[in-house]
Amino acid sequence: MKSVIEILTEIRPEFDFTASSDFIADGMLDSFDMVTLVSALDKNWGVSIPGTDIVPENFQNVQTIEALLRKSGTKP
Amino acid sequence: MTPIQTPGQVFDAVQRAKGGATAFCTNFFPVESKLRGWINHGELFAELRDGATFFFRKDRDFLRLYFCAADAVALQREIAAWTGLQTERVITDLVGDESAVNKMLPAFEPAGFRRHTQLQRLVRMRRPESATDGLPVGFAEKADGQAVLGLIENIFDRYGEQLPMLYEIEAAIESRQILAARSDGQLAGLLFFETQGLASTVRFWAVAEKFRALKVGSAVMRQYLKIHDAVRRFTLWVNAGNDNAIQKYRHFGYAPDGLIDHVLASRLISA
Repeated sequence: MKSVIEILTEIRPEFDFTASSDFIADGMLDSFDMVTLVSALDKNWGVSIPGTDIVPENFQNVQTIEALLRKSGTKP
Repeated sequence: MTPIQTPGQVFDAVQRAKGGATAFCTNFFPVESKLRGWINHGELFAELRDGATFFFRKDRDFLRLYFCAADAVALQREIAAWTGLQTERVITDLVGDESAVNKMLPAFEPAGFRRHTQLQRLVRMRRPESATDGLPVGFAEKADGQAVLGLIENIFDRYGEQLPMLYEIEAAIESRQILAARSDGQLAGLLFFETQGLASTVRFWAVAEKFRALKVGSAVMRQYLKIHDAVRRFTLWVNAGNDNAIQKYRHFGYAPDGLIDHVLASRLISA
């Protein structure tokens, strides 16, 4: 199973996601990337992230994404 | 349609459509600063429906429709039931990859929407760019607002390309988001951009007709790239049928990334 960082890097290989604490403010993820990321997380972790949780605050950094995965019933 | 008065109302209305969504679909990706501008100018309205929320932004003489729906079935049902289509001129955008857009199209065509144009997104990764040539380029100034608006309205399609209002141009000038090349005191060319962190988007790149073939466009683009040396990712949307513009963007390293935007016009516009 891929880590969150690995999935992020596959989506946006031009960015170093380990060097940012706010992917949105740093311009590393846009709205379309969030949709792609949700689909990749669903596929990789076998979870279904509810639509109400697809908000920028949940995609700010690795910690918030992992918290979202835990909330959705998996252990990243 | 209910006027929107706070960004919180927008958030609540979006969440309402997301509640219980199995295949949420939307074309609404609001940026808070833009939302505030639309709200402050009384341009934004909402209509809460069963399984869907519609937002309308007044743009010149028509409405731009943004939707948030629980799934494509709810979207199709509520678009078909919305009586405003009989009286309003409406434009909407379906954004995504080809398969996502094709899933949303059937919701609109039976309600009388027709394809107006198609845009495609181009992306450029960071790479070195040679020095500026041609006319000197600087940031647009407060007095340039009307000339910037005139050039943009003269060149771009108001339905297809989400043209800014004068107040948005004035705010962009103040934030140093518009580069301008001048010749004999006239605005010869411009590049309007939005930069966030390590990403930057070109919104409009334009050269006035009498200054074409004089490397004005190259000069403003090179200056734009020069001042964004730290940016890793450059994006823009271009009319998919504008081969001339696409060729120019390719020259500067842009290439399609697979995202498309079908711009649809309601019957009162497309007729």
